[in-house]
Amino acid sequence: MKTARTMLLLAALAVLAAVPWFGSDVLIQFGINALLLAVLAQGWNVIGGYAGYASFGNSVFYGLGSYGVAIAMAQWQLPFWVGLLFGAALAVVFAVLIGMPVLRLRGHYFAIATLALAQVMAAIVSNVKLAGRNVGLVLPPLNNDPLFYEFSLLLLVLATLTVYWLTRSRFGFGLIAIRENEEGAAVMGVNTTLYKTVAFAISGVFSALAGGIHAYWVTFIDPESAFDIGLNVKMIIMAVFGGPGTVFGPVVGALSLSAVSELLSSEITSFAGLFFGVVVVVAVVLMPRGLADVLRRFRGTGWRYFGENIRSHQL
Amino acid sequence: MKLDSAAKAVPLLDVRGVSAGYGGMPVLQDIALKIYPAEVVALVGSNGAGKTTLLRALSRVLPCHGSLFLNSRDLLPMTSDGAFRAGLVQVPEGRQLFDRMSVRDNLLMGAFVRADKSAVRRDLDRMYSLFPRLAERRRQLAGSLSGGEQQMCAMARGLMAAPTLLMIDEMSLGLAPVVVELLIDALVAIRTEGVTVLLVEQDVNLALSVANRGYVMETGRIVRSGSDKQLIDDPEVRRAYLGL
Repeated sequence: MKTARTMLLLAALAVLAAVPWFGSDVLIQFGINALLLAVLAQGWNVIGGYAGYASFGNSVFYGLGSYGVAIAMAQWQLPFWVGLLFGAALAVVFAVLIGMPVLRLRGHYFAIATLALAQVMAAIVSNVKLAGRNVGLVLPPLNNDPLFYEFSLLLLVLATLTVYWLTRSRFGFGLIAIRENEEGAAVMGVNTTLYKTVAFAISGVFSALAGGIHAYWVTFIDPESAFDIGLNVKMIIMAVFGGPGTVFGPVVGALSLSAVSELLSSEITSFAGLFFGVVVVVAVVLMPRGLADVLRRFRGTGWRYFGENIRSHQL
Repeated sequence: MKLDSAAKAVPLLDVRGVSAGYGGMPVLQDIALKIYPAEVVALVGSNGAGKTTLLRALSRVLPCHGSLFLNSRDLLPMTSDGAFRAGLVQVPEGRQLFDRMSVRDNLLMGAFVRADKSAVRRDLDRMYSLFPRLAERRRQLAGSLSGGEQQMCAMARGLMAAPTLLMIDEMSLGLAPVVVELLIDALVAIRTEGVTVLLVEQDVNLALSVANRGYVMETGRIVRSGSDKQLIDDPEVRRAYLGL
Protein backbone atom coordinates (compact mmCIF):
# COMPACT_ATOMS: atom_id res chain seq x y z
CA MET A 1 0.00 0.00 0.00
CA LYS A 2 2.70 2.37 1.05
CA THR A 3 5.01 1.49 -1.82
CA ALA A 4 2.09 1.76 -4.25
CA ARG A 5 1.41 5.25 -3.01
CA THR A 6 5.08 6.22 -3.30
CA MET A 7 5.18 4.87 -6.87
CA LEU A 8 2.06 6.83 -7.78
CA LEU A 9 3.60 9.95 -6.31
CA LEU A 10 6.84 9.52 -8.22
CA ALA A 11 4.88 8.90 -11.43
CA ALA A 12 2.91 12.11 -10.90
CA LEU A 13 6.15 13.96 -10.24
CA ALA A 14 7.69 12.52 -13.41
CA VAL A 15 4.71 13.67 -15.48
CA LEU A 16 4.94 17.14 -13.94
CA ALA A 17 8.68 17.27 -14.59
CA ALA A 18 8.16 16.21 -18.23
CA VAL A 19 5.68 18.99 -19.03
CA PRO A 20 8.26 21.27 -20.71
CA TRP A 21 9.01 18.50 -23.24
CA PHE A 22 5.48 17.93 -24.42
CA GLY A 23 3.55 20.99 -23.27
CA SER A 24 2.86 24.16 -25.19
CA ASP A 25 4.35 27.51 -24.19
CA VAL A 26 1.04 28.51 -22.66
CA LEU A 27 0.92 25.35 -20.60
CA ILE A 28 4.47 25.88 -19.35
CA GLN A 29 3.73 29.46 -18.36
CA PHE A 30 0.56 28.38 -16.61
CA GLY A 31 2.60 25.65 -14.92
CA ILE A 32 5.16 28.12 -13.56
CA ASN A 33 2.42 30.26 -12.06
CA ALA A 34 0.55 27.29 -10.62
CA LEU A 35 3.69 25.72 -9.16
CA LEU A 36 4.78 28.97 -7.53
CA LEU A 37 1.30 29.40 -6.05
CA ALA A 38 1.54 25.84 -4.74
CA VAL A 39 4.87 26.72 -3.10
CA LEU A 40 3.20 29.73 -1.48
CA ALA A 41 0.27 27.63 -0.27
CA GLN A 42 2.63 24.97 1.05
CA GLY A 43 4.74 27.61 2.80
CA TRP A 44 1.63 29.11 4.36
CA ASN A 45 0.70 25.60 5.48
CA VAL A 46 3.66 25.58 7.87
CA ILE A 47 2.51 28.59 9.88
CA GLY A 48 -1.21 28.51 9.09
CA GLY A 49 -1.91 24.80 8.76
CA TYR A 50 0.46 23.30 11.32
CA ALA A 51 1.03 26.03 13.90
CA GLY A 52 -2.55 27.30 13.42
CA TYR A 53 -1.59 30.95 12.94
CA ALA A 54 -3.50 32.34 9.95
CA SER A 55 -0.83 34.64 8.57
CA PHE A 56 -1.70 37.44 6.18
CA GLY A 57 1.94 38.50 6.25
CA ASN A 58 3.26 35.89 3.85
CA SER A 59 2.94 38.19 0.86
CA VAL A 60 5.51 40.38 2.61
CA PHE A 61 7.97 37.49 2.46
CA TYR A 62 7.10 37.05 -1.20
CA GLY A 63 7.82 40.73 -1.80
CA LEU A 64 11.08 40.59 0.12
CA GLY A 65 12.16 37.60 -1.95
CA SER A 66 11.28 39.42 -5.17
CA TYR A 67 13.20 42.50 -4.11
CA GLY A 68 16.11 40.41 -2.86
CA VAL A 69 16.60 38.99 -6.34
CA ALA A 70 15.81 42.27 -8.10
CA ILE A 71 18.23 44.35 -6.02
CA ALA A 72 20.98 41.76 -6.23
CA MET A 73 20.68 41.39 -10.00
CA ALA A 74 19.64 44.85 -11.20
CA GLN A 75 21.54 47.02 -8.72
CA TRP A 76 24.56 44.95 -7.71
CA GLN A 77 24.96 42.81 -10.87
CA LEU A 78 25.19 39.63 -8.78
CA PRO A 79 24.11 36.18 -9.98
CA PHE A 80 20.54 34.94 -9.50
CA TRP A 81 21.29 32.43 -6.74
CA VAL A 82 22.93 35.12 -4.60
CA GLY A 83 19.74 37.13 -4.98
CA LEU A 84 17.68 34.15 -3.89
CA LEU A 85 19.82 33.71 -0.78
CA PHE A 86 19.66 37.45 -0.09
CA GLY A 87 15.86 37.38 -0.35
CA ALA A 88 15.60 34.32 1.89
CA ALA A 89 17.88 35.98 4.44
CA LEU A 90 15.67 39.10 4.39
CA ALA A 91 12.66 36.85 5.00
CA VAL A 92 14.29 35.20 8.02
CA VAL A 93 15.28 38.56 9.53
CA PHE A 94 11.77 39.88 8.96
CA ALA A 95 10.19 36.73 10.44
CA VAL A 96 12.23 37.09 13.62
CA LEU A 97 11.80 40.87 13.99
CA ILE A 98 8.07 40.89 13.28
CA GLY A 99 7.31 37.41 14.59
CA MET A 100 8.49 38.11 18.13
CA PRO A 101 5.88 40.78 18.84
CA VAL A 102 3.12 39.68 16.45
CA LEU A 103 3.14 35.96 17.25
CA ARG A 104 2.07 36.80 20.80
CA LEU A 105 -1.34 37.61 19.38
CA ARG A 106 -3.76 34.78 18.77
CA GLY A 107 -6.62 34.07 16.40
CA HIS A 108 -8.20 37.05 14.69
CA TYR A 109 -5.82 39.48 16.36
CA PHE A 110 -2.83 37.81 14.74
CA ALA A 111 -4.55 37.82 11.33
CA ILE A 112 -5.38 41.53 11.60
CA ALA A 113 -1.91 42.50 12.79
CA THR A 114 -0.30 40.72 9.85
CA LEU A 115 -2.88 42.09 7.41
CA ALA A 116 -1.37 45.55 7.69
CA LEU A 117 2.21 44.41 7.09
CA ALA A 118 2.01 44.17 3.30
CA GLN A 119 0.61 47.70 3.00
CA VAL A 120 3.31 49.07 5.27
CA MET A 121 6.08 47.29 3.39
CA ALA A 122 4.83 48.57 0.04
CA ALA A 123 4.89 52.11 1.42
CA ILE A 124 8.38 51.68 2.85
CA VAL A 125 9.85 50.13 -0.28
CA SER A 126 8.35 52.91 -2.43
CA ASN A 127 10.71 55.28 -0.65
CA VAL A 128 13.91 53.26 -0.81
CA LYS A 129 16.23 54.37 -3.57
CA LEU A 130 18.04 51.04 -3.75
CA ALA A 131 14.70 49.35 -4.48
CA GLY A 132 13.88 51.76 -7.29
CA ARG A 133 11.29 53.71 -5.28
CA ASN A 134 7.73 53.39 -6.62
CA VAL A 135 8.93 52.91 -10.21
CA GLY A 136 10.25 49.43 -9.53
CA LEU A 137 13.21 47.53 -10.91
CA VAL A 138 13.90 45.87 -14.25
CA LEU A 139 15.86 42.63 -14.18
CA PRO A 140 18.09 41.23 -16.93
CA PRO A 141 15.81 38.93 -18.97
CA LEU A 142 16.30 35.19 -19.27
CA ASN A 143 14.04 33.66 -21.90
CA ASN A 144 14.05 30.10 -20.72
CA ASP A 145 10.61 29.11 -19.49
CA PRO A 146 11.39 25.38 -19.20
CA LEU A 147 14.20 26.22 -16.79
CA PHE A 148 11.92 28.40 -14.65
CA TYR A 149 9.37 25.63 -14.72
CA GLU A 150 11.77 22.98 -13.47
CA PHE A 151 13.11 25.38 -10.89
CA SER A 152 9.63 26.06 -9.55
CA LEU A 153 8.88 22.35 -9.45
CA LEU A 154 12.09 21.72 -7.53
CA LEU A 155 11.12 24.38 -5.02
CA LEU A 156 7.69 22.81 -4.61
CA VAL A 157 9.27 19.42 -3.98
CA LEU A 158 11.54 20.99 -1.34
CA ALA A 159 8.60 22.72 0.34
CA THR A 160 6.57 19.51 0.35
CA LEU A 161 9.47 17.50 1.75
CA THR A 162 9.81 20.10 4.50
CA VAL A 163 6.14 19.74 5.39
CA TYR A 164 6.50 15.95 5.27
CA TRP A 165 9.38 16.26 7.70
CA LEU A 166 7.09 18.31 9.96
CA THR A 167 4.66 15.41 10.19
CA ARG A 168 7.43 13.11 11.38
CA SER A 169 9.53 15.34 13.60
CA ARG A 170 9.42 16.53 17.15
CA PHE A 171 9.33 20.09 15.84
CA GLY A 172 6.17 19.40 13.84
CA PHE A 173 4.61 17.62 16.81
CA GLY A 174 5.28 20.73 18.87
CA LEU A 175 3.64 22.96 16.25
CA ILE A 176 0.54 20.77 16.15
CA ALA A 177 0.40 20.92 19.94
CA ILE A 178 0.53 24.72 19.74
CA ARG A 179 -2.30 24.69 17.21
CA GLU A 180 -4.43 22.37 19.34
CA ASN A 181 -3.82 24.05 22.69
CA GLU A 182 -1.08 26.60 23.04
CA GLU A 183 -1.34 26.79 26.81
CA GLY A 184 -1.19 23.02 27.07
CA ALA A 185 1.87 22.98 24.84
CA ALA A 186 3.60 25.59 27.00
CA VAL A 187 2.79 23.61 30.13
CA MET A 188 4.38 20.54 28.57
CA GLY A 189 7.65 22.36 28.04
CA VAL A 190 7.34 23.46 24.41
CA ASN A 191 9.19 26.73 23.91
CA THR A 192 6.23 28.21 22.06
CA THR A 193 7.82 31.54 21.11
CA LEU A 194 10.80 29.81 19.53
CA TYR A 195 8.67 27.23 17.73
CA LYS A 196 6.27 29.78 16.30
CA THR A 197 9.06 32.06 15.17
CA VAL A 198 10.91 29.22 13.43
CA ALA A 199 7.67 28.12 11.74
CA PHE A 200 7.07 31.70 10.60
CA ALA A 201 10.62 31.85 9.22
CA ILE A 202 10.34 28.53 7.36
CA SER A 203 7.04 29.68 5.91
CA GLY A 204 8.68 32.98 4.96
CA VAL A 205 11.70 31.42 3.29
CA PHE A 206 9.54 29.44 0.87
CA SER A 207 7.43 32.48 0.06
CA ALA A 208 10.60 34.49 -0.52
CA LEU A 209 12.13 31.88 -2.82
CA ALA A 210 8.90 31.72 -4.83
CA GLY A 211 8.91 35.52 -5.05
CA GLY A 212 12.53 35.50 -6.19
CA ILE A 213 11.90 33.04 -8.99
CA HIS A 214 8.81 34.93 -10.06
CA ALA A 215 10.68 38.25 -10.14
CA TYR A 216 13.43 36.87 -12.36
CA TRP A 217 10.85 35.21 -14.60
CA VAL A 218 8.70 38.30 -15.19
CA THR A 219 11.85 40.54 -15.18
CA PHE A 220 10.05 43.49 -13.62
CA ILE A 221 8.76 44.28 -10.15
CA ASP A 222 7.19 47.25 -8.42
CA PRO A 223 5.96 47.66 -4.84
CA GLU A 224 2.30 47.21 -5.78
CA SER A 225 2.75 43.80 -7.39
CA ALA A 226 5.43 42.55 -5.00
CA PHE A 227 3.49 43.23 -1.80
CA ASP A 228 0.07 42.19 -3.01
CA ILE A 229 -2.33 41.19 -0.23
CA GLY A 230 -4.52 39.49 -2.86
CA LEU A 231 -1.77 36.95 -3.34
CA ASN A 232 -1.84 36.18 0.35
CA VAL A 233 -5.58 35.65 0.23
CA LYS A 234 -5.07 33.31 -2.73
CA MET A 235 -2.51 31.17 -0.93
CA ILE A 236 -4.78 30.85 2.10
CA ILE A 237 -7.75 29.86 -0.05
CA MET A 238 -5.67 27.27 -1.87
CA ALA A 239 -4.21 25.80 1.31
CA VAL A 240 -7.56 25.75 3.11
CA PHE A 241 -9.37 24.35 0.07
CA GLY A 242 -6.89 21.52 -0.25
CA GLY A 243 -6.62 20.81 3.45
CA PRO A 244 -4.50 22.81 5.91
CA GLY A 245 -2.23 20.77 8.13
CA THR A 246 -1.81 18.00 5.56
CA VAL A 247 1.20 17.21 3.37
CA PHE A 248 -0.45 17.26 -0.06
CA GLY A 249 -3.61 19.26 0.57
CA PRO A 250 -2.16 22.68 -0.26
CA VAL A 251 -0.45 21.37 -3.42
CA VAL A 252 -3.62 19.73 -4.71
CA GLY A 253 -5.64 22.79 -3.72
CA ALA A 254 -3.28 25.19 -5.50
CA LEU A 255 -2.94 23.17 -8.70
CA SER A 256 -6.65 22.40 -9.05
CA LEU A 257 -7.84 25.92 -8.25
CA SER A 258 -5.23 27.43 -10.59
CA ALA A 259 -6.43 25.17 -13.37
CA VAL A 260 -10.10 25.96 -12.87
CA SER A 261 -9.39 29.67 -12.54
CA GLU A 262 -7.29 29.63 -15.71
CA LEU A 263 -9.99 27.83 -17.67
CA LEU A 264 -12.64 30.23 -16.46
CA SER A 265 -10.65 33.35 -17.25
CA SER A 266 -10.17 32.20 -20.84
CA GLU A 267 -13.76 30.98 -21.30
CA ILE A 268 -16.08 33.21 -19.30
CA THR A 269 -14.13 36.23 -18.16
CA SER A 270 -16.88 37.82 -16.12
CA PHE A 271 -17.27 34.83 -13.85
CA ALA A 272 -13.56 34.34 -13.28
CA GLY A 273 -13.38 37.26 -10.92
CA LEU A 274 -16.13 35.76 -8.84
CA PHE A 275 -14.44 32.40 -8.76
CA PHE A 276 -12.30 32.68 -5.66
CA GLY A 277 -15.14 34.27 -3.76
CA VAL A 278 -17.39 31.36 -4.58
CA VAL A 279 -14.66 28.90 -3.65
CA VAL A 280 -14.27 30.50 -0.23
CA VAL A 281 -17.97 30.28 0.49
CA VAL A 282 -18.32 26.72 -0.75
CA ALA A 283 -15.19 25.52 1.01
CA VAL A 284 -16.08 27.08 4.35
CA VAL A 285 -19.66 25.87 4.28
CA LEU A 286 -19.29 22.39 2.84
CA MET A 287 -15.75 21.29 3.62
CA PRO A 288 -14.13 23.42 6.29
CA ARG A 289 -11.32 20.94 6.76
CA GLY A 290 -10.38 20.85 3.10
CA LEU A 291 -10.27 18.35 0.24
CA ALA A 292 -7.94 16.08 2.16
CA ASP A 293 -10.58 15.56 4.84
CA VAL A 294 -13.29 14.99 2.21
CA LEU A 295 -11.18 12.28 0.57
CA ARG A 296 -10.48 10.67 3.92
CA ARG A 297 -14.01 10.64 5.27
CA PHE A 298 -16.29 10.70 2.22
CA ARG A 299 -16.09 6.95 1.70
CA GLY A 300 -17.34 6.36 5.21
CA THR A 301 -20.04 8.96 5.45
CA GLY A 302 -21.09 9.56 1.84
CA TRP A 303 -23.05 12.66 0.99
CA ARG A 304 -23.97 13.04 4.65
CA TYR A 305 -20.47 14.45 5.07
CA PHE A 306 -21.52 17.80 3.60
CA GLY A 307 -24.78 17.81 5.50
CA GLU A 308 -22.96 17.28 8.76
CA ASN A 309 -20.61 20.13 8.01
CA ILE A 310 -23.48 22.49 7.25
CA ARG A 311 -25.25 21.48 10.44
CA SER A 312 -22.15 21.99 12.56
CA HIS A 313 -21.98 25.67 11.54
CA GLN A 314 -23.93 27.04 14.42
CA LEU A 315 -23.13 30.48 15.64
CA MET B 1 6.66 7.64 60.69
CA LYS B 2 9.22 6.81 58.10
CA LEU B 3 8.73 10.22 56.58
CA ASP B 4 10.27 12.00 59.52
CA SER B 5 13.65 10.62 58.59
CA ALA B 6 13.07 11.88 55.06
CA ALA B 7 12.12 15.24 56.50
CA LYS B 8 15.60 15.65 57.84
CA ALA B 9 16.99 15.20 54.36
CA VAL B 10 17.44 17.99 51.84
CA PRO B 11 14.07 19.29 50.66
CA LEU B 12 13.20 18.65 47.03
CA LEU B 13 11.51 22.00 46.73
CA ASP B 14 12.60 24.81 48.98
CA VAL B 15 10.60 28.02 48.76
CA ARG B 16 11.51 31.01 50.91
CA GLY B 17 10.16 34.51 51.12
CA VAL B 18 8.42 34.35 47.77
CA SER B 19 6.19 37.24 46.84
CA ALA B 20 4.54 37.91 43.53
CA GLY B 21 1.60 39.73 42.03
CA TYR B 22 -0.10 40.93 38.91
CA GLY B 23 0.85 44.38 37.64
CA GLY B 24 1.98 45.97 40.92
CA MET B 25 -0.86 44.40 42.83
CA PRO B 26 0.68 42.01 45.39
CA VAL B 27 -0.97 38.61 45.67
CA LEU B 28 1.58 36.37 47.33
CA GLN B 29 3.38 37.58 50.43
CA ASP B 30 6.40 35.95 51.99
CA ILE B 31 5.52 32.38 51.11
CA ALA B 32 7.71 29.66 52.57
CA LEU B 33 7.24 25.96 52.01
CA LYS B 34 9.28 22.81 51.74
CA ILE B 35 8.52 19.59 49.97
CA TYR B 36 10.61 16.49 50.64
CA PRO B 37 11.22 13.68 48.19
CA ALA B 38 8.44 11.12 47.75
CA GLU B 39 5.82 12.91 49.79
CA VAL B 40 2.41 14.19 48.78
CA VAL B 41 1.86 17.70 50.03
CA ALA B 42 -1.51 19.41 49.90
CA LEU B 43 -1.92 23.11 49.36
CA VAL B 44 -5.42 24.08 50.39
CA GLY B 45 -7.32 27.30 50.64
CA SER B 46 -10.52 28.90 49.50
CA ASN B 47 -11.16 30.69 46.23
CA GLY B 48 -8.77 33.56 45.63
CA ALA B 49 -6.31 32.52 48.33
CA GLY B 50 -3.49 32.60 45.77
CA LYS B 51 -2.94 28.89 45.25
CA THR B 52 -2.85 29.01 41.48
CA THR B 53 -0.75 32.18 41.60
CA LEU B 54 1.78 30.32 43.71
CA LEU B 55 1.87 27.50 41.17
CA ARG B 56 2.38 30.02 38.39
CA ALA B 57 5.25 31.56 40.32
CA LEU B 58 6.80 28.14 40.96
CA SER B 59 6.58 27.09 37.33
CA ARG B 60 8.16 30.43 36.36
CA VAL B 61 5.22 31.70 34.37
CA LEU B 62 4.81 34.61 36.74
CA PRO B 63 7.83 36.68 37.81
CA CYS B 64 8.46 36.70 41.56
CA HIS B 65 10.88 37.69 44.31
CA GLY B 66 12.41 35.46 46.93
CA SER B 67 14.27 32.19 46.66
CA LEU B 68 13.16 29.05 44.83
CA PHE B 69 15.24 25.90 44.83
CA LEU B 70 14.41 22.56 43.24
CA ASN B 71 16.92 19.82 44.04
CA SER B 72 19.34 22.57 45.13
CA ARG B 73 19.04 24.19 41.69
CA ASP B 74 18.02 27.82 41.62
CA LEU B 75 14.74 28.14 39.71
CA LEU B 76 14.57 31.92 39.85
CA PRO B 77 16.61 32.71 36.72
CA MET B 78 14.85 29.98 34.70
CA THR B 79 12.13 30.44 32.12
CA SER B 80 9.02 28.27 32.23
CA ASP B 81 10.37 25.67 29.84
CA GLY B 82 13.65 25.67 31.79
CA ALA B 83 11.77 24.91 35.01
CA PHE B 84 9.90 22.19 33.13
CA ARG B 85 13.16 20.63 32.01
CA ALA B 86 14.41 20.81 35.58
CA GLY B 87 11.51 18.51 36.47
CA LEU B 88 8.83 20.88 37.72
CA VAL B 89 5.76 19.67 35.87
CA GLN B 90 2.27 21.04 36.17
CA VAL B 91 -1.11 19.42 35.60
CA PRO B 92 -2.91 22.67 34.92
CA GLU B 93 -6.32 23.67 36.10
CA GLY B 94 -8.87 22.97 33.39
CA ARG B 95 -6.55 20.19 32.19
CA GLN B 96 -5.53 21.90 28.92
CA LEU B 97 -5.52 18.70 26.91
CA PHE B 98 -5.02 18.59 23.17
CA ASP B 99 -8.65 17.87 22.39
CA ARG B 100 -8.26 16.88 18.78
CA MET B 101 -5.31 14.60 19.40
CA SER B 102 -5.62 10.99 20.53
CA VAL B 103 -5.09 9.98 24.15
CA ARG B 104 -1.86 8.31 23.14
CA ASP B 105 -0.58 11.45 21.41
CA ASN B 106 -1.51 13.51 24.45
CA LEU B 107 0.57 11.22 26.61
CA LEU B 108 3.46 11.33 24.15
CA MET B 109 3.21 15.10 24.19
CA GLY B 110 3.99 14.89 27.90
CA ALA B 111 7.30 13.29 26.99
CA PHE B 112 7.97 16.03 24.43
CA VAL B 113 11.31 17.17 25.84
CA ARG B 114 12.58 13.68 26.64
CA ALA B 115 15.09 12.08 24.32
CA ASP B 116 15.17 8.56 25.84
CA LYS B 117 12.76 6.86 23.48
CA SER B 118 12.77 3.38 25.01
CA ALA B 119 12.13 4.79 28.49
CA VAL B 120 9.27 6.86 27.06
CA ARG B 121 7.71 3.72 25.60
CA ARG B 122 8.07 1.96 28.95
CA ASP B 123 6.45 4.90 30.73
CA LEU B 124 3.58 4.85 28.26
CA ASP B 125 2.84 1.23 29.17
CA ARG B 126 3.16 2.12 32.84
CA MET B 127 0.54 4.87 32.40
CA TYR B 128 -1.81 2.43 30.71
CA SER B 129 -1.53 0.05 33.66
CA LEU B 130 -1.90 2.92 36.12
CA PHE B 131 -4.97 4.24 34.30
CA PRO B 132 -6.65 1.26 32.61
CA ARG B 133 -9.40 3.57 31.33
CA LEU B 134 -6.85 5.40 29.22
CA ALA B 135 -5.56 2.13 27.80
CA GLU B 136 -9.09 1.32 26.60
CA ARG B 137 -9.37 4.70 24.96
CA ARG B 138 -5.86 5.25 23.70
CA ARG B 139 -6.97 5.89 20.12
CA GLN B 140 -9.91 8.08 21.04
CA LEU B 141 -9.65 11.87 20.78
CA ALA B 142 -8.95 13.42 24.16
CA GLY B 143 -11.80 15.90 23.69
CA SER B 144 -14.31 13.06 23.55
CA LEU B 145 -13.39 11.69 26.99
CA SER B 146 -15.48 12.28 30.08
CA GLY B 147 -14.31 14.88 32.58
CA GLY B 148 -12.79 12.30 34.90
CA GLU B 149 -11.01 10.52 32.08
CA GLN B 150 -9.67 13.84 30.87
CA GLN B 151 -8.27 14.51 34.31
CA MET B 152 -6.62 11.08 34.24
CA CYS B 153 -5.23 11.87 30.83
CA ALA B 154 -3.84 15.17 32.08
CA MET B 155 -2.24 13.51 35.10
CA ALA B 156 -0.77 10.75 32.97
CA ARG B 157 0.53 13.34 30.52
CA GLY B 158 2.24 15.13 33.39
CA LEU B 159 3.77 11.88 34.63
CA MET B 160 5.06 11.13 31.13
CA ALA B 161 7.41 14.06 31.57
CA ALA B 162 9.18 12.05 34.29
CA PRO B 163 8.73 14.87 36.80
CA THR B 164 10.80 15.44 39.91
CA LEU B 165 7.78 17.25 41.29
CA LEU B 166 4.29 16.95 39.88
CA MET B 167 2.01 19.86 40.72
CA ILE B 168 -1.68 19.09 40.27
CA ASP B 169 -3.98 22.08 40.20
CA GLU B 170 -7.63 21.56 41.20
CA MET B 171 -7.75 17.88 40.48
CA SER B 172 -11.32 17.36 41.66
CA LEU B 173 -12.87 20.49 40.20
CA GLY B 174 -16.25 19.77 38.64
CA LEU B 175 -15.98 16.01 38.93
CA ALA B 176 -18.42 13.53 40.45
CA PRO B 177 -17.36 12.00 43.78
CA VAL B 178 -17.17 8.51 42.24
CA VAL B 179 -14.70 9.79 39.66
CA VAL B 180 -12.70 11.62 42.31
CA GLU B 181 -12.37 8.29 44.16
CA LEU B 182 -10.74 6.81 41.06
CA LEU B 183 -8.34 9.72 40.79
CA ILE B 184 -7.38 9.36 44.43
CA ASP B 185 -6.65 5.67 43.89
CA ALA B 186 -4.38 6.67 41.05
CA LEU B 187 -2.73 9.30 43.23
CA VAL B 188 -2.03 6.72 45.92
CA ALA B 189 -0.49 4.47 43.27
CA ILE B 190 1.63 7.37 42.03
CA ARG B 191 2.79 8.02 45.58
CA THR B 192 3.91 4.43 46.08
CA GLU B 193 6.02 4.77 42.93
CA GLY B 194 7.93 7.52 44.67
CA VAL B 195 6.76 10.54 42.67
CA THR B 196 6.60 13.72 44.71
CA VAL B 197 3.29 15.51 44.37
CA LEU B 198 2.04 18.96 45.28
CA LEU B 199 -1.73 18.77 45.28
CA VAL B 200 -3.56 22.06 45.08
CA GLU B 201 -7.16 21.80 46.15
CA GLN B 202 -10.19 23.68 47.31
CA ASP B 203 -11.57 20.49 48.79
CA VAL B 204 -9.70 20.34 52.09
CA ASN B 205 -11.04 16.97 53.19
CA LEU B 206 -10.10 15.36 49.95
CA ALA B 207 -6.63 16.87 49.79
CA LEU B 208 -5.76 15.97 53.35
CA SER B 209 -7.04 12.42 52.92
CA VAL B 210 -4.25 11.60 50.47
CA ALA B 211 -1.52 13.99 51.56
CA ASN B 212 1.21 13.46 54.14
CA ARG B 213 1.32 17.10 55.04
CA GLY B 214 -0.52 20.22 54.13
CA TYR B 215 -0.23 23.97 53.89
CA VAL B 216 -3.21 26.25 54.28
CA MET B 217 -3.31 29.49 52.32
CA GLU B 218 -5.40 32.53 52.99
CA THR B 219 -5.21 35.87 51.16
CA GLY B 220 -1.78 35.23 49.74
CA ARG B 221 -0.12 33.92 52.89
CA ILE B 222 0.49 30.53 54.36
CA VAL B 223 -1.45 30.58 57.61
CA ARG B 224 -1.16 26.98 58.80
CA SER B 225 0.97 23.99 58.08
CA GLY B 226 1.32 20.56 59.51
CA SER B 227 0.50 16.89 59.08
CA ASP B 228 -2.82 15.85 57.65
CA LYS B 229 -4.18 14.96 61.12
CA GLN B 230 -3.15 18.23 62.72
CA LEU B 231 -4.77 20.26 60.00
CA ILE B 232 -8.01 18.36 59.77
CA ASP B 233 -8.48 18.75 63.54
CA ASP B 234 -7.38 22.38 63.66
CA PRO B 235 -10.46 24.38 64.71
CA GLU B 236 -9.28 27.36 62.69
CA VAL B 237 -9.08 25.28 59.51
CA ARG B 238 -12.40 23.67 60.24
CA ARG B 239 -13.99 27.05 60.73
CA ALA B 240 -12.51 28.69 57.68
CA TYR B 241 -12.73 25.96 55.07
CA LEU B 242 -15.14 23.36 56.20
CA GLY B 243 -17.73 25.82 57.45
CA LEU B 244 -17.98 24.07 60.80
